[in-house]
This record gives sequence, structure tokens and C-alpha cells, in this order.
Amino acid sequence: MAIKAFSIEDGNLSASIVTTRSKKYTDIDLTFTAKPSGDVYKKFDAAAVKQSVKNLLLTSRYEKPFQPNFGANLNSALFALDTDYDPDFIQDLIADAIAKYEPRARVLEISLNLQPETNALDATIVFQVVNTSEVVSVDVSLTRLR
Amino acid sequence: MATTVKSTDLDFQNIKAGLKNYLRSKSEFADYDFDASGLNNILDVLAYNTHINGLTANFALNEAFLPTAQLRSSVVSHAETLGYQVRSRTTASALVNLTVNLAGVIGRPAQIQLPVGWQFTSSIDGISYTFRTLETYFARDNGSGLYEFKTTTGSIDIPIYEGVEKTKTFLVGEADERQVFVIPDNTIDTSTADVLVYDTASSTNYVTYTRLSEAVTIDANSTVYSIREAPNGFYELNFGDGVSFGKKPDAGNKVVVTYLSSSGPDANSGDTFTSNSNLTVGGIGYTVSTATSNESTGGALRQSIESVRQLAPIAYASQQRLVTSADYKATILSNFSQVNDCNVWSGDQNVPIDYGAVYVCLNFPAGTSQATKDLVKANIVTNFTDNLSVVSMTTKFTDPTDVFLELNTQFDFDPALSGFTLAGTETGVFNYVTNYFNTNLNTFNAIFRRSNLLTEIDALDQAILSSRIDVKAQLRIEPTVGVVDNFELSFPMKIASPDDEIYSVSSSIFEYNGAVCQIKNKLNDTRLQIIDIDGNVLLDNVGEYKPLDGEVNIIGFTLDAFIGGNQFIKISVVPDNPSVIRPLRNYVLRLDTSESSATATIDRQTSSLQVT
Repeated sequence: MAIKAFSIEDGNLSASIVTTRSKKYTDIDLTFTAKPSGDVYKKFDAAAVKQSVKNLLLTSRYEKPFQPNFGANLNSALFALDTDYDPDFIQDLIADAIAKYEPRARVLEISLNLQPETNALDATIVFQVVNTSEVVSVDVSLTRLR
Repeated sequence: MATTVKSTDLDFQNIKAGLKNYLRSKSEFADYDFDASGLNNILDVLAYNTHINGLTANFALNEAFLPTAQLRSSVVSHAETLGYQVRSRTTASALVNLTVNLAGVIGRPAQIQLPVGWQFTSSIDGISYTFRTLETYFARDNGSGLYEFKTTTGSIDIPIYEGVEKTKTFLVGEADERQVFVIPDNTIDTSTADVLVYDTASSTNYVTYTRLSEAVTIDANSTVYSIREAPNGFYELNFGDGVSFGKKPDAGNKVVVTYLSSSGPDANSGDTFTSNSNLTVGGIGYTVSTATSNESTGGALRQSIESVRQLAPIAYASQQRLVTSADYKATILSNFSQVNDCNVWSGDQNVPIDYGAVYVCLNFPAGTSQATKDLVKANIVTNFTDNLSVVSMTTKFTDPTDVFLELNTQFDFDPALSGFTLAGTETGVFNYVTNYFNTNLNTFNAIFRRSNLLTEIDALDQAILSSRIDVKAQLRIEPTVGVVDNFELSFPMKIASPDDEIYSVSSSIFEYNGAVCQIKNKLNDTRLQIIDIDGNVLLDNVGEYKPLDGEVNIIGFTLDAFIGGNQFIKISVVPDNPSVIRPLRNYVLRLDTSESSATATIDRQTSSLQVT
């Protein structure tokens, strides 16, 4: 493909044209581990999105102030895994939450391992970070505490 | 460093948006906009914290001022700083005539005694309430063995008060700090409290302390007390400091407080009282016969927050003196729970002018007996106006005058714009007008403004396209059948001048000379006539009306019979200015629902263009 050149009068735009947006995701590391300098660690790009997805899936409805619908509400499913819920429904919960609240992740696959007798579930979500080709997975394990 | 974060904002979303704006100006973090990000969660915490702090500061500041305080403890505290005593719950009281019949008893005494605390029972709405005397009363033999108890003033109306007598005993200990004595009871009627201070725990010698508000002068030896409402809703008994502000009980003293625990308004309207026990005379019990002179009234819950908010500043301004009309109003409403509302004006504002007088008009709840009204008026004069008012001013009482308004509301109604039927909307409008009077009028100094009401009617439903109200004002006369009588009616506004089509004055129907008649003004004239329903004039001159003075004078009127069951005749006039009716002095505007109506006219608004 030919390289396009522009005149000086047009702004000397002879530099290469970037046709895709390069965005760097930067988030704070919620483990709050301190660097030797005393500052907290940050998470970047896919790691930041991964942390975000995990955070979303572990949040229940009404947990976030003034955003009652935020969260995947998986906790509520733990107590009726063998009655009211089936894997498809839980997959929908996860997919809907990510689609609504985490636009940086495009879900590719959701694997579930339901354990109704112990009120536990394991979920593995494989997703692509939008605007990159990077595919990452998040494991979420939920167990009733009492 | 200047930031975009408004830390005093109250709205959570605005605070969070401010934090995001701040981060937007920095390059260090980029994920604050994603709801699930860690940074967004931290922003939630920060914004929530700021939000809570903002709300707390807002609430705290609201509580810091009397007009905006919401908590009762705050309002009471502010009122106290103004020297205002918040009224506690009050007991209902009744007046009864008590007699004991000892006819035929050999050697009966000349005088018998009814001890303090004599109990009576009254059943109100299926619940029994105990009433009791608060003084000792005596009765003398009338010669035939009938003993009728009387008060010290000679009245046979004995007051009895509802409530359970309770006693709290405190032993005064050694303390450097001033002691307050807690009465953990929010049903106390503080006006019934008796405070006795004994020398020691076992002593029978005591000193009776008086209420601080009744003290005339106070020095270090004044035996006064006050009972104030505590922040938790209970009450606290306070004494002086022993230095300059009343005597302080000494260590080792015993303080005994006796009071009535009241049921408040639940014990009102009791009209039958039965003595709980027989009165023992010469070792034999005799029945105490009870006749009710006045049913129980005056029971009330403790003063409401809004009432305190309204009256405390006025009471402070009055400084325990009765100078302005607001002083009178605040003092009366603060001290007499039997009174719903009152209005006060000076004699120079009265019609006719009466210099040197203060006119007080009291509005009692419906059903209040004349005896109770008289008692309240006597107490106002004895306890307040005689002591606190300006020298030479005389207090005169008048009764409220009800001016009834007849409102005929007409409105245009488009059924296509509403889910309600025409009849349903008419009923809705009529009920709204009735409620409007209950909410905004029916009290002193409440002005009727027609345009205000019309605005609210128009806003009731989008199907109400426009509206108008025909207004008449009405006073009532109570003539005696068969007796020639005169009546002077004063309306609180000018009356419309005579018209050649519309009667400015008209009455409800009555029987006169065997015919069904009305009083009306002669068309184009101020003269009043008695006219039968066929329009024949039966009496050409029965008085006149004065449009500019708002007066209707009926002279030489003889009624044959009332028609319609009412024992009065309604005299209605067309106001000169129906847009506003301002009740002065003792007038109270009320709605005559039987003469008012709401009528709809269909207006579909759809019009077809007709080309001819």
C-alpha cells in the first residue's frame, strides 16, 4: 500500500496515521500491596480488566451505594443451586452483568461447576479485552459461609 | 491546591462526578469511569463518606435553629433557651355535683368531708378511666340530711381530674454538682405535680415547693421548683442553686413528687361518673351521688413540635407580659389546651370602638360545654390578664361568628382528556373545595381568595379546562316563632349594591302568614321584603341592608315556622368583591356544603372546520 504524504501547508502530517485507538487501562491494585517506595501497586490493561470482572462478579445487588442493580448477584444463587437455578440461568447472570457494567470485556466462554450439596459454584470466564487481541480468563469460586 | 471536588455537596452522584473530574485531569489512573473497576469502588467509598458528612452537617445545622429543627429534643431545647415552658400532657377534667343523703340518720354531723383523691370511674368508648379530686371538699347538712359538697368559693361544681396518681421519692445525696431528679414518665401532667421536701428520710416535717412559673420574686431562700422535659422525652425536677436562684435541697433531705399520669385526650367526653367507694360517716358507708355538670374536656397530649415552634418566639417576645395581641394569643394557647385557636384585638379596632378593652375570641372544639368555656375564660382573667396585662385594660370575651360561604363552582370538562366520569369529577371538585376549607380556612384570620382556589381546581385534572365560582356569604338568625324580633347582621365585607336583576340579599325559606316565603331585597333597592315563592310581596318593608357597611338589619320580623328541620334562617348576600373575603376580628369563614355545589359543563374542544 502506498504511503500518503501531506504538504507542510497542511500541517506536516507526514507521520504515520494511527487507525486504531491505543488505550491503556490503569487501575489501582485492590490487594493494596505496598511497593518498596510505599506506594500501592497498579494494574494495567488486561490485568486491570480482569480485576474489574472479578470485582463485578463478586458483588451482590444493593451492595454498591446508590447503584442497587450493580453486580452479578451470584451469591443469591448459592442457596438454591439444585432448585431454582440452572447453569444456563447463572451463565446469563454473568454475561448480562459483564455486558452491562464492564464494556472492556467481550465474553467468549463461561464454564460452570455447580456443587449444590455444598452450596458452592466455580466459574471460569474467558473473555477478550476489547480493542486488543488479548484473551484472558477469570476464575471465581463462591461458597456459602454460614 | 484548587480541586473540582465540592466536599459540601449533598448529592452522592454529584460528589462522585466531582471526584471523577479531578481524576480526569490526572494521567495516573484511567479506569475511574468503569463501574466495576477498583478505582471506581474507591471513589464510591470517598463519595459516600463525603455524602454522609455533608448530610450530617446539614442535619446538625438544621437542628441548631428553632425554625428548622426536626427532633423534639432540639425544639424543646431551643424553646427553653427562650424561656418557654413546653406544655406536658394534660389531664381531662370534668365538673360534677356531689351529694350524700343522710336523711333519717340519727345524730348526723353538721358537716362532712370528702377527702382529697376521691376516685370516680367513667367509661369512654368502652374503656374505664379513673378521675379524682385534687382537694378536700366539705358539705353541710341542708336541714333534711342532704349534704352537697362545695368549693371554697361556694360553687357546687366540683372539678375532678383523670389520671393515675404516681409518686417518686428521691433522697438528696452529697454532690458538688447541681442535682436534677429524673421522673421517667412521659405521661405526667406537670401542672398536677406536688413537690414536698422532707427534712430527713424518716421525718414528717416537710416544705411544699411551688412552681417556678408561679413565683413572683426569687431569692436564695425561695422554695421553687421547675419540671422540664428532658431530651429523652422524660422529665426532670430542678431546684434552685441555693445562692440566688431559689433554695437548694440539702443532703439528707427527701424529695417526694406526686403527680397525675394522664391518658390525655382519650379521657375527654366522659359524661357519666360513678364514685368508686362509699363515704364513711359514723362508721357506715353512704353512697356519693354524682351528677355531671360538665363532661370531661381539656385532656391533651404534650405540646406538639409545631406548636412549640410557633409559640416560643412569641412568648419570648411577650416577656411574660400581655401587651400586644400576639402576647395574648401565645399565652392563651400555651396554657389552655381546651382552646383550639384564639384571636385578639384591641378595643379601638372593634366595631363599635371600645377604648380600654381587649377583645378575646376563643375557638373551642365542637361539643365543649358552656360551663367549660366559662371556666376557661375565668381562668384566663384570674391567672393571666389580671396579673400580666397593662394596667387599666379590661379583657372582654366574644364568641366566634361563623360566616358561611356558598360556593357554586362551575367548570368546563373535556371527557376525552380524563379517565374520570363527569359525575365523578364533579364529586372530586366538590370534595376538594371542602378539603380546601378544612385545610386553609375554618380558623381566625384565614382569608378566602377565589383565584387561589380556582387555580388549584384547574390543576386537579387536565380535563378541567376552565372554572369559575359564584360566591355568596351567609349569616344565620335564630328567631323565636311567633315573636316580633329585630336582627342586626354584620358581614365582614361590603355587600353588592342593589341590582335590577339579581337579589343582593336573600334568605332561606320559612313560613310566614301561612305561605312559604323568603326575605329578599327589593330589586334596585336596599329595602328588604318578605316575598312568597310566587313572587308576591307579603311584607313590603322588613328592614334594609347597607352595602357599604356590610350590614343587614331585619326589623319587625315575625316567624310562623321554620321549614326544613333547621332552627335558624340563612341570610345570604352577594359580596361586593367576591374575589376576596377577609374575616376580621372574631369572624371564621366556613363552607356551607348544603348550599355549595360543583357543576361541570361538557367542552370537547374538538371543532370541525365548516366551509360554506
